[in-house]
Amino acid sequence: MIVLSSTWRDSKRHLFKFSQEMSRAGSRLDSKKVNSELFTLTYGALVAQLLKDYENIDDVNKQLERMGYNMGIRLIEDFLARTGSGRCYDFRDTAEKIQTGFKIFLGITPTITNWSTAGDEFSLCFESNPLTEFVELPDHCLNLKYCNILTGVLRGACEMVQMEVASWFVQDQLKNDSVTELRVKFIKRLEDAIPAGED
Amino acid sequence: MKQQGLDSKADPTGEGVQSLFEYLHAEMVTYVLSKADNDKEEELSRLEWMGYSVGYRIIERLSREWSRFKDELDIIKFICTDFWSTLYHKQIDNLRTNHHGIYMLQDNEFRLLANIGSKGSKQYLRESPRLLAFSCGLLRGSLANLGAVSTVTAEISALPSCIFHIKVQRM
Amino acid sequence: MTIHNLYIFSRNGTLLYYSEWNRLNKSGITMEEEAKLMYGMLFSIKSFVSKISPLDPKEGFLYYKTSKYTLHYLETPSGLKFVLNTDNGAQNIRGLLQQLYSQVYLEYVVKNPLCQLNEPIQSELFKQKVDALIKHSQYF
Repeated sequence: MIVLSSTWRDSKRHLFKFSQEMSRAGSRLDSKKVNSELFTLTYGALVAQLLKDYENIDDVNKQLERMGYNMGIRLIEDFLARTGSGRCYDFRDTAEKIQTGFKIFLGITPTITNWSTAGDEFSLCFESNPLTEFVELPDHCLNLKYCNILTGVLRGACEMVQMEVASWFVQDQLKNDSVTELRVKFIKRLEDAIPAGED
Repeated sequence: MKQQGLDSKADPTGEGVQSLFEYLHAEMVTYVLSKADNDKEEELSRLEWMGYSVGYRIIERLSREWSRFKDELDIIKFICTDFWSTLYHKQIDNLRTNHHGIYMLQDNEFRLLANIGSKGSKQYLRESPRLLAFSCGLLRGSLANLGAVSTVTAEISALPSCIFHIKVQRM
Repeated sequence: MTIHNLYIFSRNGTLLYYSEWNRLNKSGITMEEEAKLMYGMLFSIKSFVSKISPLDPKEGFLYYKTSKYTLHYLETPSGLKFVLNTDNGAQNIRGLLQQLYSQVYLEYVVKNPLCQLNEPIQSELFKQKVDALIKHSQYF
């Protein structure tokens, strides 16, 4: 039973003021779990809305990537401020930082694997993925890259730390692969802009 | 090889995923407004609808282990306390009702407005309603699943506080 | 101790924010020119410092000191540049610059969906929080 810290009544209305501590004993909800589900469900609602708004599924994939990019340019600041990390030494360092990012923001640790011999490409493998927790792809959506927002996030975040990368899904659990595999490729280092009048 | 799956040591409070939600929400608002031709109201209804579908589902996870609520006021009190503090870090500050299906929920520092507006300033007042449409839908969807069909609107008179008006339809 | 003024530059040199507290001398040029000169100077010092460094420069340029004041510099890996001028009593204030980034810029610019990144910061809440952080710091 809820106990109200103070209640009073005027002629017509009731006013309840809630104290900070009040909650049913033992009913504390698992905040982390609920917020993770809030994110998952919200992302699902967004994908559903995009599928309504666009006739072409490729356009949905593109839009998800664009939105991811815009999230990425903010997320990178959040990541840098939280972790205090400096610039990457090499692409292996980048891979580990991306892995840490998944841990911080999605609570999962994808495996880093399948390095190319040149060291400019690797895969992130997800055995579980909160984005797709409640999802089954209907038959008419087989071209949908449900998690495509992640490719945009990586592009935006890396661009802000002077790195151009490309990424794409090579396996997808929603399409009955045993894992979800995201391939990440280093394209080039972006140079600092030189102020006018200098060279 | 490192163990996969939900790693409980990382982000124990869920702070990371909460930030992630905020960035996603901001992008959804931008997207919906970019679709707007002239009729902003109609476009915000897309956000409201997305919120509704999320609210309808998430409330099941929040309230499933609890016995049925005693009455409508009991549902509203649950929304004001546990529901609100789980999603928005704090409880509703004031609840008013006429005991005939109308409720006013006042949050003096609503989470999605907290980083935007300073007290006593009118800056961003005009743009802020777009940041509440999703939350209105979330509230309406949650109530609908608990059996209270309603309309929900939000009112901002001074950031970062806001009031959610709930009007429950009586059969 | 005294804090004189603060500049925040974006990665491509736009002056995002300027504020001053105890600045007695004006430069006598417009803010726009001053910002351009400041950014150009920082850019040159940075590239000179790393070019001339006999060892791996790691973080590179951190501050310079004159007989009257010290200019403290923090650049994030994302290229944001925080510049704080203080008197010479205030040393090692890197922590304060970090706080400006992680507690004020992140919270009130990055997490404000109504603020565009890379544009001069208009948010009044941000201004208030910067002011409060500086005035409550032990260096003020």
